[in-house]
Amino acid sequence: MQYLANPTRFLKLTNPLIPLAWWVMFILLAVGLYGALVSSPPDYQQGESVRIMYVHVPAAWMALFVYSVMALASAVAVIFRHPLADVAAKTAAPIGAVFCFLALATGSLWGKPMWGAWWVWDARLTSMFVLMLLYLGYIAIWQAIDEPHRAAMIARIVALVGFINVPIVKFSVDWWNSLHQPASVFRMSGPTIAPSMLWPLLVMGLAYTFMFVALHLIAIRAEIAARKIRQIHIAEIGER
Amino acid sequence: MDTAANHVGFVMAAYLLSFLCLVALATFIIARDRRLKAEVELLERDRNRKKTS
Amino acid sequence: MKLFLALIRRDLVLSLRQGGGAGTALGFFLTVVVLLPIGLGPDQALLGRIAPGALWIALLLSVLLSADRIYQQDYEDGSLDIMTMGPVPFELVALAKSIAHWLSTSLPLAVAAPILGFLVNLEPGSVLPLAMAMAAGSIALSLLASIGAAVTVGLRRGGLLVSLLVLPLYVPVLIFGMSASSGVSGPDIAIPSFLILLALALASLVLSPLASAAALRSYLK
Repeated sequence: MQYLANPTRFLKLTNPLIPLAWWVMFILLAVGLYGALVSSPPDYQQGESVRIMYVHVPAAWMALFVYSVMALASAVAVIFRHPLADVAAKTAAPIGAVFCFLALATGSLWGKPMWGAWWVWDARLTSMFVLMLLYLGYIAIWQAIDEPHRAAMIARIVALVGFINVPIVKFSVDWWNSLHQPASVFRMSGPTIAPSMLWPLLVMGLAYTFMFVALHLIAIRAEIAARKIRQIHIAEIGER
Repeated sequence: MDTAANHVGFVMAAYLLSFLCLVALATFIIARDRRLKAEVELLERDRNRKKTS
Repeated sequence: MKLFLALIRRDLVLSLRQGGGAGTALGFFLTVVVLLPIGLGPDQALLGRIAPGALWIALLLSVLLSADRIYQQDYEDGSLDIMTMGPVPFELVALAKSIAHWLSTSLPLAVAAPILGFLVNLEPGSVLPLAMAMAAGSIALSLLASIGAAVTVGLRRGGLLVSLLVLPLYVPVLIFGMSASSGVSGPDIAIPSFLILLALALASLVLSPLASAAALRSYLK
C-alpha cells in the first residue's frame, strides 16, 4: 500500500485499469439488462413491475458498498495517514450519493405499484434516507471547510461516525417488522430468490460495481490533478 | 417483457431515471477529469518554459 | 477526577450565569409545546395520540439548537486551546463539557417535558415511561449533538451542517425513545426499547468524546 502512496505511481498502475473496467461494465450491463428485461420471468404477484428490482437493488447495494469504501478509506487515513486515502474517500462520496438517490427514487417507483405508497417510514427506507443525509453531510464538509487538510480530518470523523448506519440498514429488515421485503439474497441460509431472477440481479450488481470502479479511479485521478494545480499555485506564490 | 402490462410505466421510468442519473454522473466526472488534466498540462508547460528561459 | 468534575462545574456555572443556552432551549421547547395544540385544533384525542412524539421532537430540537454553546465560546476566546495542553486528556474535556450541557439543558428539559405533557393532552399513564425514556435518551441527545457542535465549531455557517450530521444519529434515539415511552404499547416492547436506549446512551458516552475531541483538534491546529 505504501508503494501506491506516490500519486504518479498510483496513476501509472490504475490508468490502464480504467478502460478495462469500462469494457467489463458494458458487457455485464448488456447481459444484465437482457436478463432483467427479457429473459427473466414476471413475478407471480407483481407482474412486470418486479423488473424495477434489477435497478433498485444494485443501486442500494452500491450505496452501502461505496459508503463502506469511504469509511474504510477514512480509517486508513486516520491509522496509516496514507496520502491518497482522503482522496479516495472524498471522490467516492458523490458517486455513492447518486447510487443512494437512485435506490430511493427507484424504490419509490417500485413501491407505488407494489404497496400503493410512494414512501413509508419503515426501518429500511428510513435508514436509507439517513444514509442519503450522511452522504450529503459528508460532501458538505468538504465544501464548507476551505483548508484541505483540516477538511480531510473532519471528513474522516464524519465518515467513521456515520458508518454505524450501514449495518443498521442491512439488518433493519430483520430487526423490525417492515413493509420492505426481507433479505432474500445475502442470507446465512442462502438466497431465497429464484435463480432466473438471481443471476440478472447479480450481473447488474457487478455491472454497477465496475461502473463505480471506473468512475472512482477517474475521479481520483482528477482530484490528484486538482491538488497538483493547487501545489503549483502555492509554489508560484512562494517564488514571487 | 410485456409492454402492455399494468404499471409498466413505472418500470420504464425507473430504468430511464437510472440511465439519466448515471450518465450525468459519468459525464460530470469525466468532464472534470479532462478539464483538470488540461489545466495541469498548461501549468506545467508554463513552468517548464519559465525554467528554461 | 477532581479536575474532571471541576470542568463540569465550570461549564455549569458559566451556563447559569449567562442563561443563554439553557434558556433558549427551554424557550424553544415551550414554544413548540404551546403552539402545537393551537395549530392542531381542538381535537384532544388527536393531540393525545401524538403527544409523546411531539414532546420527543421538541426535546430533540431544543437540545440540537442549544448544542453549539458547548464549545463555541471556549473556542473563540482561546480557552479550548489551553485545555488541550492541560493535565486532563482532551477527550475527557469534551466529555465534561457535554455532560455539563446535559445537566444544564437536556436533563431539565427531559424532566420538564412529561410534566408539561398536560399541555398536549399526554395520557397520564404515559408520564412515567416518557420521563424515564427521556432521561435516558437525553444523555445520548446531548452527547451526539456535541459531535455536531465540535465538527462545526470553526465554521461560520455551520447551522445546516449540524442538523445534517446529527439527524442521522438522532433517528435511532428517537425511534427507541418513542417505543419506550408509550404507556400504551405495554412492557413487552417498552422495556427492551428502554434497554436499547440505555445502550445508545452508553455507546454515545464513549463515541462522542472521541469524535468531538478529534474534530476540535483539527480546528485548533
